[in-house]
Amino acid sequence: MGAKISIPVRRIDAKEKAGGWAKYIGDYEFDNLQHGRFLRSERARAKIIEIKKPVFPEGYYYVDASDIPSSGKNNIQMIKDDWRVFAVDEVRYIGETIAIILGPDKQKVLDLLNEIEIIYEDLIPAFTFDDALACKGGAVHGTDNIFAEYLLNVGNTDNAFKNADKIIEGKYETGFQEHLYMETQGLVGTWEDGKITMYASAQCPFYIRKSVAGTLGVPLGDIRVRQVTTGGAFGGKEHFPDVIATPLAVAVNKIKKPISMIYDRIEDISFTCKRHPSKITIKTGLDKDNNIIAMEIDTLVNGGAYESSTPIVLQRAILHGLGVYNIPNARILGRAVATNTFPSDAYRGFGAPQGLFAIEMHMSHIADELGLDTSDFKRKHFIKTNDITITNSKMHDDVKLEEMFAKIDEMSDYSSKVKKYANDPVKGIGIAFVNHGGGFTGNGEQVVIQGVVKMKRLDDGKAGLYVSVVEMGQGLQTTMRKIAAGELGLSIEDVVYDNPDTDIVPDSGPTCASRSIMVVGFLVQECAKKLKAKWEEGVGTEATHQYVHPEEFVWEQETLQGDAYPAYGWGINVVEVEYDPVTFEVKTEGVWAVWDVGVAIDETIMQGQSSGGIIQALGYASIEKCELKNGAFMQHTMADYTIPTSLDFPKVETVFIDNPYKYGPSGAKGAGELVFDAAPPAYAEAVQNAIGKRIYDIPVTPEMIMEALNK
Amino acid sequence: MVDSYRPKDLKEALSIRAEHGAMPLAGGTDLMVRYQSWTGTLPLFKNSIMFIGHLKEMKYIKKEAKDKTSTLVIGGTATLTSVANHPETPVVLKEAVLSIAAPALRNNATLTGNICNASPAGDSICALYALDAVIVIEKTGSRREVPITEFITGPGRTVLAESELVTAIKVPLKASSVNNFTKVGTRKANALSKLSFTGVADYKNGRVDSIALTFGAVGPTVVRSVELEKKLKGLSGSEIETKISAILEDYSTVIVPIDDQRSSAVYRKKVALNLLEKYLRELSRHE
Ligand SMILES: Cc1cc2nc3c(=O)[nH]c(=O)nc-3n(C[C@H](O)[C@H](O)[C@H](O)COP(=O)(O)OP(=O)(O)OC[C@H]3O[C@@H](n4cnc5c(N)ncnc54)[C@H](O)[C@@H]3O)c2cc1C
Repeated sequence: MGAKISIPVRRIDAKEKAGGWAKYIGDYEFDNLQHGRFLRSERARAKIIEIKKPVFPEGYYYVDASDIPSSGKNNIQMIKDDWRVFAVDEVRYIGETIAIILGPDKQKVLDLLNEIEIIYEDLIPAFTFDDALACKGGAVHGTDNIFAEYLLNVGNTDNAFKNADKIIEGKYETGFQEHLYMETQGLVGTWEDGKITMYASAQCPFYIRKSVAGTLGVPLGDIRVRQVTTGGAFGGKEHFPDVIATPLAVAVNKIKKPISMIYDRIEDISFTCKRHPSKITIKTGLDKDNNIIAMEIDTLVNGGAYESSTPIVLQRAILHGLGVYNIPNARILGRAVATNTFPSDAYRGFGAPQGLFAIEMHMSHIADELGLDTSDFKRKHFIKTNDITITNSKMHDDVKLEEMFAKIDEMSDYSSKVKKYANDPVKGIGIAFVNHGGGFTGNGEQVVIQGVVKMKRLDDGKAGLYVSVVEMGQGLQTTMRKIAAGELGLSIEDVVYDNPDTDIVPDSGPTCASRSIMVVGFLVQECAKKLKAKWEEGVGTEATHQYVHPEEFVWEQETLQGDAYPAYGWGINVVEVEYDPVTFEVKTEGVWAVWDVGVAIDETIMQGQSSGGIIQALGYASIEKCELKNGAFMQHTMADYTIPTSLDFPKVETVFIDNPYKYGPSGAKGAGELVFDAAPPAYAEAVQNAIGKRIYDIPVTPEMIMEALNK
Repeated sequence: MVDSYRPKDLKEALSIRAEHGAMPLAGGTDLMVRYQSWTGTLPLFKNSIMFIGHLKEMKYIKKEAKDKTSTLVIGGTATLTSVANHPETPVVLKEAVLSIAAPALRNNATLTGNICNASPAGDSICALYALDAVIVIEKTGSRREVPITEFITGPGRTVLAESELVTAIKVPLKASSVNNFTKVGTRKANALSKLSFTGVADYKNGRVDSIALTFGAVGPTVVRSVELEKKLKGLSGSEIETKISAILEDYSTVIVPIDDQRSSAVYRKKVALNLLEKYLRELSRHE
């Protein structure tokens, strides 16, 4: 950890957030504020026969699809626009928006909502992968329930399998995961100077602008979106705010008054997107020296009732399908299915954690089957610089996994504990190796986003920074300032970086895909250089900088061939556990992490990302059970959807190694999602070694451990 | 119309109860959750409520000795924290209380509230069944005492009449040398129970003199079988040891849990029996 920029500073937002005076969406006051609440579908799949409404008193409104102006559309312009703003005639999942009930008094709004009666005619819903593939009840989407299907291929897999000495197969499943950001979803829509303005707790102000403008059928410039301090997001506020903003905009457009839509916690857990459940089957062929010569992977993800970003999530799942391994002959089939569950969407990792869990467990199972040490077996297959990837390009990164393994082995005493616990009845240790591509998949940054940043010299020797990526707890207000201040030779306090407002900042793209520092941060660094060169021109001098795609990275989106990502973050986690044979509960004794994120822009912030990402991932792997009952999430309170406390997991010991990336600010690469990826398989392997039975699915609950031991 | 009352003393509380049947609200940690509504609106209480958490007359814990027996009397508004901190609180009750939620909540919530809420997952209840706790119930002009096993009649149901209040919990302080309370929660802190277990027993002259074994969250109310306990009385440690599998078989017929969002019936039953087995092994070693 040598770089100067890594030296920690006090977070710029530390005081106001710790002190409690940061203003979140629920803290703002608006004159004449109206309160809205959704009328939602209570059925997973049904025809709406009739909606019986009471008489609405003056000042109270029922807003539905009929209120969308004729210029607009009842579709939410996300990556796809299949998701309807308001359900009409039929409903496709429990919680689907049918209307907004709004007015000045919340209790009255609730009373009206309770008086509404919906007469449904139930249809047969599809919830599981099997239901979806069998088109149970008729296709939910298209003719076959397939949102997206991709096939990746490298080498000659069929031939290689023919030459295989042995073939090993496994099936791996992961469940839904709720984001449980501290601040629930919330927006306030207002009518200011003949223009709709959305105040939003959100990751992507320009996504909201696009979807709202599309729904109302107005030019983008007619909509203004102002991000307000956001209390956590984890992907849950990437696309989902559009699902609130679009019907809200229809309502604001109708009554021309400010309206707030802020979710309660139970509403938030019950009716927001979750991580995509996955089911991944892997078949591996090995030669007589136990080298992997062929691999075939079948990946399924459940997209729920609408497509949204599901195809891209699926792409990431399969592009990370081979993990950190060099497999010369491999074929990956990826399919995203439609069901009548709540639409799944972005969640830290965006498909990669599912793909990586499967490959890591599978590698562990192969080693177990062959009587080999997991880490030896995995290390033997590590991908190296210039090896061929699943998308038939070369691994451009300087892969430092061996150096990182040596480090984590020293920190955790992994190798000797593996031997020590081999015959221990209750203890186990696990290890997982991962990488995570930074930025948008393929040429997304070049073709789709084309991010722009702007900087300006202000009074008093200050500089203004204008970007559309947001602080959502990850530290961006501090790290972006550090990058800009470093180039300009200013203190970070002298860089002004307000919460983005689409009327003020250029579109530098969304806050997602581990791109904010790696991609936008680099634009900021380059822009700051330009501003510095012009600094002497005086106050008001501006500089802008737009994304330029490095020529060495080529990509063909149609066929998914080429360089899937310009650079990867790399990581290893070790988890040590002990299980209780009486209650089957697991106690985590130690967690270690070594990361290559290029260069950490602030070591303390990255330590926070590492600890936070790992503990969130350990929750996913152990206690965050989220099951469906007739299409509704059973664990919909914080009492039942339990996330880890500090007693559940001990301190995470983290070390970063430097491996600067040419096109990242000061060499930084994507890090925000990487830190989630390794803990689930490391934990599952540790439990597996403790109980002496293989683990195929997460979350690994005590109930599951009991069942595994009974087998 | 939902009214709220804040009596100045117990007497007034009892008369409000008699006149309006207003629902008592002590710490409110169950009630405010049960009746929560949209943030910024009032809770959806169906009946009038009466705040009682501040009533000093019931905010006490004291030890009473009569003849040769002593009893811990816990006042109707004593908080969980005060119960946990009292030096005379039996260890299983103390552990049960400390397993509930987090310190901030325990500072406000009452033991009586936990009992009157009568949740199958109420943690103190499991221990109080094993300790033969007695519920003191008062209404204007009269007072009755009901064993906890009779007080709770089902999930969320008690024998409390609309005019009555629980004014104290009596916990007999008996000799007990082998004590265990275990809660299996959904996580390691601030968690609700998947199941819980309490075992208390004492030996006299090498033979089990008293024993109580209770199981929480594995049935509509806490499971305790006095019949089965009788079979254990008079046994020596080594006799217990030889009988463990027979005892487990007996208990497996009375523990009939259900599946829900927190756990499965199979797991609850298996772990309940495992905890019992662990306890019996420890018991067999003590004499
Ligand atoms: C975050 C959280 C975590 C929790 N964790 C746990 C846990 O781990 N284990 C657990 O068992 N519980 C748990 N609870 C539930 C709750 O905190 C306990 O049941 C608590 O003891 C209730 O006490 P209270 O004084 O707040 O009850 P209140 O909410 O005031 O009342 C509860 C019930 O008792 C009645 N009542 C109260 N006092 C009297 C009286 N004197 N006479 C007659 N009726 C009365 C009320 O009318 C009501 O029906 C949790 C609650 C929350 C919010």
